[in-house]
Amino acid sequence: MAMAAEQWVLVEMVQALYEAPAYHLILEGILILWIIRLVFSKTYKLQERSDLTAKEKEELIEEWQPEPLVPPVSKNHPALNYNIVSGPPTHNIVVNGKECVNFASFNFLGLLENPRVKAAALASLKKYGVGTCGPRGFYGTFDVHLDLEERLATFMRTEEAIIYSYGFSTIASAIPAYSKRGDIVFVDSAACFAIQKGLQASRSDIKLFKHNDVADLERLLKEQEIEDQKNPRKARVTRRFIIVEGLYMNTGTICPLPELVKLKYKYKARIFLEESLSFGVLGEHGRGVTEHYGINIDDIDLISANMENALASVGGFCCGRSFVVDHQRLSGQGYCFSASLPPLLAAAAIEALNIMEENPGIFAVLKKKCQHIHKSLQGISGLRVVGEPLSPALHLQLEESTGSREKDVQLLQEIIVHCMNEGIALTQARYLDKEEKCLPPPSIRVVVTVEQTEEELEKAASTIREAAQAVLL
Amino acid sequence: MTGDAADSVPPIGRAQTAKGGHFLETTGVSAPLCPSRTVRASEAGRMNVGVAHSEVNPNTRVMNSRGIWLAYIILVGLLHVVLLSIPFFSIPVVWTLTNVIHNLAMYIFLHTVKGTPFETPDQGKARLLTHWEQMDYGLQFTSSRKFLSISPIVLYLLASFYTKYDAAHFIINTASLLSVLLPKLPQFHGVRLFGINKY
Repeated sequence: MAMAAEQWVLVEMVQALYEAPAYHLILEGILILWIIRLVFSKTYKLQERSDLTAKEKEELIEEWQPEPLVPPVSKNHPALNYNIVSGPPTHNIVVNGKECVNFASFNFLGLLENPRVKAAALASLKKYGVGTCGPRGFYGTFDVHLDLEERLATFMRTEEAIIYSYGFSTIASAIPAYSKRGDIVFVDSAACFAIQKGLQASRSDIKLFKHNDVADLERLLKEQEIEDQKNPRKARVTRRFIIVEGLYMNTGTICPLPELVKLKYKYKARIFLEESLSFGVLGEHGRGVTEHYGINIDDIDLISANMENALASVGGFCCGRSFVVDHQRLSGQGYCFSASLPPLLAAAAIEALNIMEENPGIFAVLKKKCQHIHKSLQGISGLRVVGEPLSPALHLQLEESTGSREKDVQLLQEIIVHCMNEGIALTQARYLDKEEKCLPPPSIRVVVTVEQTEEELEKAASTIREAAQAVLL
Repeated sequence: MTGDAADSVPPIGRAQTAKGGHFLETTGVSAPLCPSRTVRASEAGRMNVGVAHSEVNPNTRVMNSRGIWLAYIILVGLLHVVLLSIPFFSIPVVWTLTNVIHNLAMYIFLHTVKGTPFETPDQGKARLLTHWEQMDYGLQFTSSRKFLSISPIVLYLLASFYTKYDAAHFIINTASLLSVLLPKLPQFHGVRLFGINKY
């Protein structure tokens, strides 16, 4: 019975095929032809929009001449006339055989030569050896790394911190971990080179606003808001970031953080704060710009700093909420794909943190010295002081530029050589001229540390004054 | 992929290496050289050998993985069998339902869902692309694309036969087929009609 039923159904099916409507059979015929076409079609790439024909490409290739491997440079190029420093760049630095007072290294708290820090590093060296021989995810995590992360998180009063082994790549890895193609970043035009490289790696839309100009930033944010209202679906998938530095390395000014936090909540953007210069400098206990202004640390989404300045170690860290910082453990390229911080440097950083926590008075001392030198350097003819009184890294720019950057650099170099002969070690702020987005004018960078005495500060100010008079007038 | 695979019990090592065949090509590990017994013991200790890959967006190559076409066919067969086992659906209804559900699932997974469920190292290049557009990095008419274009057509031809070319079923099946064939045309690469599913 079952077999007969099956056969009967099949006969019906075939009969239905004979009685099928014409349109259906025609459609099926077209579909079978389509299958045949698909099977025999060749694989090809969708044409990228290239405006050059093959012939034009050949012509361009023919025309191309290779540039010399070493471009011709003048004998006076700074890379060819370098100074040689013997020994560590501490308070008394030996430059070209001459002992000078160091006004060039970012050793704000004088922890580079601190015997406790050195002892901790040495003990760690004897215990662990030198390098970690691996990234954090592949046998490169030591207990000192976890300790340092915990200590930094408690010091900054955030939930979690993450360590990088190279200060430059801290912010350069943090930015592309969160900001991707299609996201919008509002960044200050005086942002340091590391931030610029991070932004370039992130492939996001960059909107520069004038340095420390909250009105300009608000204008950009308002424009973006109008765009968002026109296309709300696009706005819903776009992330917005505001990236600022606490204390700008290029200008020595402090960012207006309270207004930025207000803007953040008004326009729904996230703030990334780069505190390389302000960590261990600003604030009552050295916690940076947030403590300086009394802002709740939870208002800032991510704080990134390098430990190569005040903390006198190597590397950098990012701190913030666990939810935010944990993301970098898999997405931070510098964290996942670089060897981790050598344990001796992590131990040195921990000891430096201990010292910072034990004597919070040094920050007030540093502040006073900064204000002192800021006042002393005022009124030098020909040179203008750029930077706030609170900033330990000031810039001295030429009041009137000669017109060409090379000449300016040369003049400043002469001032520096003059000062070096008197025993004050200074340096110019160096940039990769062709790579910077907004190249700052050439300047001498004067750095104040806790170890400099009042006499040395006075001597520095007077030496610079004499040098400027001798060279510029 | 013959019936032997189901009948015999292949050594664990060989099965694992067979599935990850294309991974083996990139890493150059040749496990099949080992005898089966010892492979089973050592495989337990070296679990992740040969699984690392440097593919920027793995979504592009998932449809080329070994055994996925067979798995796809088996899945459609399973759907059909499950629908057949529901007692109050007649044969034409079951076939139309198979066709429609298959095309609906294909439309959702290949032409609606965008981006990747994981982070890619290219800073989100594929964030706004559907899986069809991501396949093989946008290369048209690759073998997986041909397979996935032909399978709804084959299903449609079978469904037309088993519904005895009825007019109502024709309308439903043809509409469903068109909804899944049109997005696969190279002219529709990256096209979002009326701004639907654009962001």
